[in-house]
Amino acid sequence: MAELGHARVSPVGRRVARREVGASTIAATLRRNVLAWTPALALGVLCIAFSIADARFASLANIHTLASQAALPLILATGMTFIILQGSIDLSVEGVMAACSLTFALLVRNSRTGLDLGVLAIVAASLLGACFGVANGALITRLRVPSFMVTLGTWSITSGVAMLISGGQPPQIRDMAMRNWALGDSLGVPNLIVVAIVFLAVGYLLQTYTRFGRYSYIVGSSEDIARLSGVAVDRFKVLAFAFCGLSSGLAGALESARLGLGHVQIGANQMFLALTAVVIGGTSLSGGRGGVVQSMVGVLILTVLANGMIFVGVTPYLQTAVQGAIILLAVIAATWHLRGRLRVVK
Amino acid sequence: MRQHALILFAGAASFVAFGGPAARADTPCKKEDIRFINSMREIAQPYHADLDKGGRLFVQSVGLNDKQYVLQLNQSDSDKQVSLMRAVLATNPGCTVFNVEPNNLPEVRLIVQTANQTGAWVVTHWSHPDGFYPYQQGNDHWIAHIGVNSLDAGVSVSRSLVNAMGGQGGIVALQGILENKPAQLRFAGLQKVLAENPGVTLLDQQTANWDRSQAFPIVQAWLSKYGDKIKAIWAANDDMALGAVEALRAQGLAGKIPVVGVDGIPEAIQAVKTGEMTATVSSDAYYQGSIGLAMGYCVLTGQAPMPAKWTNEQRNFNLRLITISKDNVDQYLNPPPASAYAGDWDCNKLWSRDTGPAD
Repeated sequence: MAELGHARVSPVGRRVARREVGASTIAATLRRNVLAWTPALALGVLCIAFSIADARFASLANIHTLASQAALPLILATGMTFIILQGSIDLSVEGVMAACSLTFALLVRNSRTGLDLGVLAIVAASLLGACFGVANGALITRLRVPSFMVTLGTWSITSGVAMLISGGQPPQIRDMAMRNWALGDSLGVPNLIVVAIVFLAVGYLLQTYTRFGRYSYIVGSSEDIARLSGVAVDRFKVLAFAFCGLSSGLAGALESARLGLGHVQIGANQMFLALTAVVIGGTSLSGGRGGVVQSMVGVLILTVLANGMIFVGVTPYLQTAVQGAIILLAVIAATWHLRGRLRVVK
Repeated sequence: MRQHALILFAGAASFVAFGGPAARADTPCKKEDIRFINSMREIAQPYHADLDKGGRLFVQSVGLNDKQYVLQLNQSDSDKQVSLMRAVLATNPGCTVFNVEPNNLPEVRLIVQTANQTGAWVVTHWSHPDGFYPYQQGNDHWIAHIGVNSLDAGVSVSRSLVNAMGGQGGIVALQGILENKPAQLRFAGLQKVLAENPGVTLLDQQTANWDRSQAFPIVQAWLSKYGDKIKAIWAANDDMALGAVEALRAQGLAGKIPVVGVDGIPEAIQAVKTGEMTATVSSDAYYQGSIGLAMGYCVLTGQAPMPAKWTNEQRNFNLRLITISKDNVDQYLNPPPASAYAGDWDCNKLWSRDTGPAD
């Protein structure tokens, strides 16, 4: 007989099962749902705590700032989610951001070349990022090298490419229309967060309505079974890395537009932040569980934390420690309900 | 058995070829044999790019081939800085000059020891460990240390900032990497000036780790938190200052709130010209990137006495800082020609920028 939670299902049919379903199953379902909301709860607690500490934290001006600060990590986390869902990792985010940042800066009106491609430059930089992603995916699937190793190498290669292009003379972006757009608002909402939300929506659609999205969960939870079932695992892996590369390229270009130059260090620390956001949000590092909306919650938690600590006035000498402690708490809270089961923890 | 003997023989042969005692060069070298090496952290930042350009300018100015110039980048890896140095000293150590921007204090000792052991020549910049000096016994191959008085740099830009805001109001400060000595000294300079100006209050300070991408969100948060109370922004380096300028630009405040930085990178000089930054302080990267090579060149070609004969101050001094503000910005807008440094590279005037002994 099959087991369904605490109910028993006989071959005769569901009618038997429904009679047997008791409070225990409802409680189990409730518990599961509440626990899935833990990251959102943590976000709420942080927001309330910071607002109590300093009322200006909740002001419209600061919400505007928070939105602006969350935009690019959101794009990166959306891209990273599919990678983590599949149980892989992409360490090359920072290098790809750097290479695409330099490329973007050289394609718009700048201090070094005579080009002036405007919005097309953003598209070009994003596509370049996607190409790096495809290269990552191809190396991983064709050569059967673990994603950790391949993306570690690609990180160095793309950083090196960026340094070569920069050549000690970072191109300054002179396209003021582009700069003002990146720094500015539409109807009071920062333009970059609009782009980020659209990207998140695309990610959500991919996750929910495409084969790529849904099968990514299967690839993450049990790749062997996926392969044996005839799922095109390799193709989906390449697609995931391409999407992550696309997100890195887009983020690199947008950050360049905001800061005004192509910068080799533009991606500094971003990979770790994106990864942390994805994990805090509830996507398991070993794959098969999570989603882009959860990653968005993770991004918001990190952004609120960084911003809030400045409001509260945590001394810079302690900030890294405090951040680490809160992240650890958030991750423990997010995975508390799973610790009892016989689960392999890597 | 024969295989083992072969391996042993090959090992012994290579030991003799590479591991034997290095030749010492107490006699000068021919100028075509001298190797000029600039050892620095990275090349992505304009400061480092200018260090490199300064070095190349010098090598060209004495009529030598660019092939005699080598750039070593350690990417913030202290071990790598030392191992790159050792690797290149497998040949011709006695006629090799290193102009070094040390990644961290402890490896200054290792670099100097390597020079002493192999007979290579070293000039270091910025800082060295306390109690360890070029003029000490046994450091004959450590030609000189050219320090930067980061406290003075901090004081100088802080004074410019306080003047620009009329001596009244609140400021916020962006610090560099908290463990770096220049970061600590520059901030100490700010605190010294604040003590002299009770009308100015430090509203908040955070570290942006020398990086403009980290400075941007911090200044954004400060603008939300303090709003109008911020009358000026202090940054420990130009990159962070420029990040602050962009955050101000997002609020339409660029050019309206004084911002200062340190380093004198070209972008910051442009910003001083347009008024978006108030002042910056330069140690003159072209000078720092070339003076060590010039000193080594003069010593090795016999045009200057051996370092053992130099005075203590000649071997351990602080260089003259240049404060760049609206008053003198026009002189610094364009990259300098080699002729601007002829006076500094002259073998009789190598210490022309000495403003006093370093610590």
